[in-house]
Amino acid sequence: MSLSVSLLHGRISYAQSDTLVTRQAHAGQVVSLSLVTVRAIAPERFLAGQKLQRIDSATLLQFRFGSLTDLLAFNTPLAFKNYGPGQLATVSFRGTSANHTAVLWNGININQPNLGQTDFSTLPVAGFDRMAVQYGSSASVVGSDAVGGSVLLGSSPVWQPGINVTFGQQLASFRNNNTQMGIRYASALGQNWKLAGKTFAYRNKLNNEYPYTERRNYFVEQSTNAQRGFVQDLYFLHKSGKQVSVNAWLTDNDLILAPQDVIARERTRTQSARLLATYESNQATVRLGWIRDVIDYGKGDFTQPSHTATDRFIGRVEREFTLLPAKINSHLNLRVGGEWSHYRTRTDGYGGQLIQEDRGDLYALLRFQTTRWLISANLRQAFVTHFNPPITPSVGAEYQVINHGRLTLTAKGSVSRSYRVPTLNERYWIDLGNPNLLPESGLNVEAGLAATIVFSDHLSLNAEATAYRNRVDNWTYWNPTDNYHVENLQLVVARGGELATTLTYARNGWRAGLRIGYALTRSSQERAYDTYAQDVVGKQLPYVPEHTGTLNTYVQHGRMRLTVQTQANSRRYITFDNSQFFKGNVLTNIILESTLKVGPITGRLQGQVNNVFDALAFSVKRNALPGRNGALNLIINFPTNTQ
Amino acid sequence: MKNQLTKSIAVSLLALSVWNCKTSDPDPIPYDLGVYILNSGNFSSNNGTISFLTRSSKTVATNIFQAANPSLGLSGGIQGYTEINGKGLILVDNSSTGQDKVEIVEVGTFKSRATLKTPDIENPRQVIQVGLNKAYISCWDVSGDYSAGTFYKDPGYIAVVDLNTSTVIKKIPAVKGVEKMVVSGTEAFVGSTTYSGDKTLLVIDLNTDTEKQRIAFGSTPEPIALDANGKLWLQAGNDLVQIDPVTRLVAKRLTFAAMPGSVIISTDKRSFYYTLSGKTYNLSIDATTTSGNQVIARSFSALGIDPQTRQIYGSQNPLLYTQAGYVLRYESTGTLIDSVKAEIAPTGFYFR
Repeated sequence: MSLSVSLLHGRISYAQSDTLVTRQAHAGQVVSLSLVTVRAIAPERFLAGQKLQRIDSATLLQFRFGSLTDLLAFNTPLAFKNYGPGQLATVSFRGTSANHTAVLWNGININQPNLGQTDFSTLPVAGFDRMAVQYGSSASVVGSDAVGGSVLLGSSPVWQPGINVTFGQQLASFRNNNTQMGIRYASALGQNWKLAGKTFAYRNKLNNEYPYTERRNYFVEQSTNAQRGFVQDLYFLHKSGKQVSVNAWLTDNDLILAPQDVIARERTRTQSARLLATYESNQATVRLGWIRDVIDYGKGDFTQPSHTATDRFIGRVEREFTLLPAKINSHLNLRVGGEWSHYRTRTDGYGGQLIQEDRGDLYALLRFQTTRWLISANLRQAFVTHFNPPITPSVGAEYQVINHGRLTLTAKGSVSRSYRVPTLNERYWIDLGNPNLLPESGLNVEAGLAATIVFSDHLSLNAEATAYRNRVDNWTYWNPTDNYHVENLQLVVARGGELATTLTYARNGWRAGLRIGYALTRSSQERAYDTYAQDVVGKQLPYVPEHTGTLNTYVQHGRMRLTVQTQANSRRYITFDNSQFFKGNVLTNIILESTLKVGPITGRLQGQVNNVFDALAFSVKRNALPGRNGALNLIINFPTNTQ
Repeated sequence: MKNQLTKSIAVSLLALSVWNCKTSDPDPIPYDLGVYILNSGNFSSNNGTISFLTRSSKTVATNIFQAANPSLGLSGGIQGYTEINGKGLILVDNSSTGQDKVEIVEVGTFKSRATLKTPDIENPRQVIQVGLNKAYISCWDVSGDYSAGTFYKDPGYIAVVDLNTSTVIKKIPAVKGVEKMVVSGTEAFVGSTTYSGDKTLLVIDLNTDTEKQRIAFGSTPEPIALDANGKLWLQAGNDLVQIDPVTRLVAKRLTFAAMPGSVIISTDKRSFYYTLSGKTYNLSIDATTTSGNQVIARSFSALGIDPQTRQIYGSQNPLLYTQAGYVLRYESTGTLIDSVKAEIAPTGFYFR
């Protein structure tokens, strides 16, 4: 696995953000540390001591026609509250709520600001090039919402000159289909400039025409979803190292429940436009962004939907200083930055008038690296209209305990504060919102060990164990005993740990890999705030399984690769007093794929069977999720080298 | 030889008796005498249940339908329950269209016997017995957009269920938001939910299952019960109205300062219990003013009167939908007996 990771990241200059562990994974691989790679800051570079999981390119390819929900569920311990195929899916990361995971696209938080969360069903894997999962609170670096963790999505330029046209088509069960078309291009622009770009569009139609109305006496829900998206990336790189880039991602999600009934049908249209312009020099970064999120909900004839439209204008300036004279084995870097965003929302639920809010952030990020040590110390202060977020520090360290050729062992630890700016709904919803909410305040402590063992030239092992405790006070709650006004009522303590192991084997044209993940998550509300709280204090939070496991294994020979993906979770309580629950379950997918090559045309053919064992799993609405189903995926690349 | 035979017989008998112990039949009527608590569950979680509580117990048996039928689930809010000639009818209201149903179970054991589904059943509201083997189930039909004023389909309908065949044999067009029904002689008086805005009292002929009369009413009528004198009572906004079911004339109208809640008739049908402004009251059917006697110094989300013990059952107010609610039991005098944890959002009682 380490080979494919290196190949991917080496190629797309993503290697700048290495922690010690991932740097080790790159051992033996020449990573070009061009001028570009020093900048393009991924936040995890300043999060020493915290767990980071990169999703490799092979996995991204296997989920290229899927949603982010499925990819994360089969590869991470993130738990999802899923309303059905193509329907709302919200995350619980390390036992926190859907508001406590920051989703970043090219470094900008794209959580929908009215809800303060992301509907993961609206973000298809086809919409981005690279992905990592940052565990634990990283609010000092990322900002609001990064309490349980962060999901980092991004675009990457490919600088190899030429034009590459790609076409993808999925035909799936239930008359579902997905079409993708794109073009990547790179060339020199005169003597001094280079251009790399990508134009990509996708369309995903879920008709969900199940051949059954019930599974084992539970109804399946009728719904359709039409999803469209468009991605445009342009990178202009000067030979001095300066770079100007433009990134755009438009998404449009049209979900209809009960489409068969013209009176009762419900439509949720979620549209987002995300535009970002970035200027980067060797020390400085300037970013300007505009994000527009629109949600329309209608029932029946859909002519008078309830409307939510929010615009965000974002400006961010960062500068990095090298504090010690460059030495081979020791680096001290300080990065300071400021961000300003202006929010404008018109939301029927707030009365329909224009509401504006300004938010600012100032931060300083310090990073010290030696051969064996990596230490970071960060500080952030956010400013929000009529709101007072706390100053948010974090410190973390990694130390390479053992560094023999075949064995490395790294110890890690970090302590970080976190905060969350209330969502626009929490602040402005008529009657129920609360303009006087306090910021939630969190403290995350974690420690871990990571090891890499190279048994032989053919066999290697990566393993990581992490334990954490995350305490969040003033946790907001729409209080039913107070007519559902939102209040800072709860105190939630999440504690647990993760184990992850990757075993990789390669010999004589054969390759095989095994990746096992296990997470223990104990998350509970600890404050008694009303007469009936005695029944919920100390109980596991709803929809947070105490045990989750993933097992991914593959065997590859020549062009063929067989992959088995398995995801398991223990029971999920559906009530705060743990009196009701969905049983634990295991879902298994099998993918058989082959690369194709006809002349210069390359491609990939995948056949996949999802839910192989026809397990019964439930949506939040207690509908049966689909049984065994399949898909045939074809990706064709037409390269045109202009060298 | 004989000794050996005796021994082997003894061993066999012992084995048989042990085997018998292990396979002793489960209680043939596990949910016989007591009260069924109808729990609505959390909206859109579709996790309503029925709990069983005996009169002497302080803990409930939870989700008895699932316990009796492990491979089945109710998957909805429990909207109503009644028993007709050895069969129990459970109204299940799912938050999604096309997923409502009526489970027909054997009384006492709760074993499923049949299920009525869409399109026969859409948004079931109340079930009543109208014949030896016949039930009426009021159904709102498919719900539209509340904010556009199309939430209640006009009209809703009454599903006529033949319990010999466990089928819906007819749908009687009723009124918008059709809900409560009370039988008087060979007629059913049918009203609707107050939010529907419909102001019709519908009379159905039980012999023909057809509409007999539509009575225009000043405000939305919600039938409650017949009193000891055979007079029909209904609630209309803040009013309790007594009607002669034969002449259809209003005999008495009591106007309260606010809308009384959870109005139910007493076991002897000579008074009403209701909640008003945070208290629970009792008012005689012969009253001429609205000044009832305060029975309990708090209100409830739902009230029930046990016809055997005359005890008052009240469910916690306000209801929480994400944790189990409580049922409080009182003597008819208003003395608190105990408080029993039920399931999610207890909103109805059925005594047997």
